[in-house]
Amino acid sequence: MYRHPAFAHPRAATGRAIGFALVWLILVGPDAASWIVGGPFVVAATLASLKLSKPRDRNLSVSSLAVFVPYFLIESLRGGIDVAARVLFPRLRVQPGNQEYRVSLRSPEARLVFIDSISLLPGTLSADLRGDLVTVHALDVRTDVVEGLATLERRVAALFGESLESVSDRTTAEHSPSDGTSVHETPARPEGRP
Amino acid sequence: MDPLQLLSGALLLVGAFFFIAGTVGLIRLHDRFSRLHALTKADNVGLGFIVLGLMPLAPDLFYGLKLVLVWLLVVIAGATGAHLIAKRALRGDGEDVL
Repeated sequence: MYRHPAFAHPRAATGRAIGFALVWLILVGPDAASWIVGGPFVVAATLASLKLSKPRDRNLSVSSLAVFVPYFLIESLRGGIDVAARVLFPRLRVQPGNQEYRVSLRSPEARLVFIDSISLLPGTLSADLRGDLVTVHALDVRTDVVEGLATLERRVAALFGESLESVSDRTTAEHSPSDGTSVHETPARPEGRP
Repeated sequence: MDPLQLLSGALLLVGAFFFIAGTVGLIRLHDRFSRLHALTKADNVGLGFIVLGLMPLAPDLFYGLKLVLVWLLVVIAGATGAHLIAKRALRGDGEDVL
């Protein structure tokens, strides 16, 4: 017999509803009258989230989160300083190019956090994900991108309690700098000016 | 002058610096992928410093939590948006308006 996910997974439904209610409370403040609007939206958001993301066992580790947050903040800051320094100096220090990275993370949540974090860390931007292959755009292909990605992946794996089997030969350089010494801007791929 | 206000002002200036750096990157860089780098990373850090700078001026705890929540939502939306734009551009299956 079909049961609506809200009844099939009462724990997940309650937990998510509390989460959305907290978001509303923080955004609007402790105002009782605001729940005339907020209440229906919390219910709608909970139903939508149950439909879009099926409840299943997730083991998000809180102690790992305490390690991940400072790491993420420091790397974000480094990413911001890195990109600011590259564009503010009179000579633009970039040599963009794409690189493939094979991701070993399994769960969709872990992959989502990984993909989004790539774009905030120094010099890398997640451009595509097909199967297990992430296309990472690097602002400077002369820097070592892979090591940073591997570190990030390990941290995300710890966050979601996943174990990574060691895969050798994870990357293939698609665009290697043939003229590594000269500093100039090369578009990642030929394209018309936007 | 109140040292707390001084700290707040300094953090706001640092935040503004990163926003300016992001905009300079948008103008100076040549392809859309590199421009996404400048926007996502510089704005993430810039907004982070703006939020930190506003924190000492927050009247109550809710206000402070709201600032952090705004930063978190912008960071998630920014990174996800950048990924989707880059994916479209890479696959070349999007519609080019211009």
